[in-house]
Amino acid sequence: MSDAYTDAPIDGRSFVAGQAFITGAKSYWHTDLFPALTEEYKQAEKASAKPLETVDDVAEVMEHNTLYQYFAWCERYLQRYKYSGRYGLVPYYRQMRADTVELFKDIPEDQLELNDDLDMPRYYESFDIHQHPGGVWSDVVSGLVYERAASTTTPLAGNRHADLHERFADLLEQYSPAPKKVLEMACGFGKTTRALYNKYQDAEIEAIDLSGPCIQVGALRAKESGARNVRFRQMDAAATDYDDASFDLVTSSMLLHEMPPPYIEKTFEEAARVTKPGGEMVHLDFWYLPDLFRRFIHYTHGRRNNEPFMEPLAELDLPKLLEEKGFKDIKIEAFAETEGVLDPSFKSWRYPWTIIRATRA
Amino acid sequence: MKSPHSEPDALRKIRPEHTFFDDPALDRALGVVFALAGEVYVLRDRLRAIESRLGKDGVLDLDELNHEPSDEEKLASNADRDAFVKHVMHAMLGHQQSNGALV
Repeated sequence: MSDAYTDAPIDGRSFVAGQAFITGAKSYWHTDLFPALTEEYKQAEKASAKPLETVDDVAEVMEHNTLYQYFAWCERYLQRYKYSGRYGLVPYYRQMRADTVELFKDIPEDQLELNDDLDMPRYYESFDIHQHPGGVWSDVVSGLVYERAASTTTPLAGNRHADLHERFADLLEQYSPAPKKVLEMACGFGKTTRALYNKYQDAEIEAIDLSGPCIQVGALRAKESGARNVRFRQMDAAATDYDDASFDLVTSSMLLHEMPPPYIEKTFEEAARVTKPGGEMVHLDFWYLPDLFRRFIHYTHGRRNNEPFMEPLAELDLPKLLEEKGFKDIKIEAFAETEGVLDPSFKSWRYPWTIIRATRA
Repeated sequence: MKSPHSEPDALRKIRPEHTFFDDPALDRALGVVFALAGEVYVLRDRLRAIESRLGKDGVLDLDELNHEPSDEEKLASNADRDAFVKHVMHAMLGHQQSNGALV
C-alpha cells in the first residue's frame, strides 16, 4: 500500500471539494497549459538546428523546456492526488469496504459470475494502472473507485462523458445493426456495456473482464437499471471459454492499449475464434498519431499515467496483424468522443480516440 | 482471482520516482504546494458552506460580509495581514533564527 494514506477518516464534503480542486486543475492543464505548450513546441521546432523527425528528437528539444516540465509534472501529480493522499479516491472508498460488500450481495447469480481461481496475467498485476494503487482489481472497492475516477477522466466533457460510450454504441449499430450475441472484452465497470444493453435490447450481451470488483459494479448497475439481457463474467479476453463462431459482434473499449503486444495478438486470435464469419470486431482505442508533437505527448502520457503499452500499440502494424489473424475490410479511423473535437481549431489536450474495425473473414 | 499481488517481491518492487524538473527537489516541493492548495480549497468550500448556512439561519448578514470592509476595519486587519506576510516570506531572506554549531 502507498504510504500516502492515513487512517484519519475523510468526510464526504471534504472529499468532494478535494477532488473538485484536482478536476479544476486538470481542466486548466487541458485548456491552458497544453495549447501554450503546443505554441512553445512550434517555436522550438523552428529554432532547432536539425529537422525534428522522431519522438526522441521532440523529447530532446522539450525535456528542458520549463513549461513542458510543469505540464508533465501536473499530469503525473494531479493524477496521483486524484487517487492517493488525504482526498484521494482510494482511501475514501476503502473506508466503505463493509458497505461495498453489502452493496454487491443481492446481484442476481445469473448476471454475475466471479472466478476466484482466475490466473491474472503477469503484466496486469505488475504495475498500478492509471496510478490507481493496487490496480483496478485487488480490492473489493476497486471497481467503485474506477467508476468514480472515470467520471472525471475527461474534465472538459463534464457530464457529457457519457456521450463517448453512447456515440460508440451508435457507431456499432451502423456496423452491426441487429446482432444476436455480443461479446464485450474488458468491460471494466460496465460503462460501455450499459450503452450496449440499452442499444441492443434483443441481443444477449456477454461482458467479461479480469477484475472481479469491476464486474460487480457493472452487474450492480445493470440490476439497478433493470437490464436482463446482460451477463458479467470474470474472464481473460485472450482465453475465453466461448464456443467457436458464437458471436455476431465482438467489441472492446480502452482494452488494447493496456496490453503488451503478445497479449494483443492473443486477444485478436481469440476474437477471431469466437466471431462468426462475416461478424464484426470493433475496438475503441488509440493508435498511431501522424502529428509528431501529439505522438510525443501521447507516448509520454502513457508513461506518466502508468500505461506503458500505449507506445507499443501505436507502433504496431495493426492492418497487417489483423489480416494475419483472419480479418478483412480493416478500417482504422479517428473517433470524436464529443462534438467538435476533430476540428483543427480544437486546441485543448484530448485522447486520440480511434476506431479499429474489421470483419471476420 | 488469485491472491492480490501474489508475487510482490518479483513484480511489485519499488519503481523509480518520476521527476520532470532539472532539480528533483522542485518536483517534491511542488507536490507540497499542491497538497496545501488542495487543503486551502477544501477549507474554502467548508467556509462557504458554513457561511451559507449561517446566512439562511439569519445568524450572519451575508450582504454585509461580502461588502468591501470599511477603512476602520481595514486598519484593524492591517497588522494581522503584515504579520501573516512576514511569516510567509521571512524565510526568503535566509536569516537564521538560532545559532547553529560551527562545523
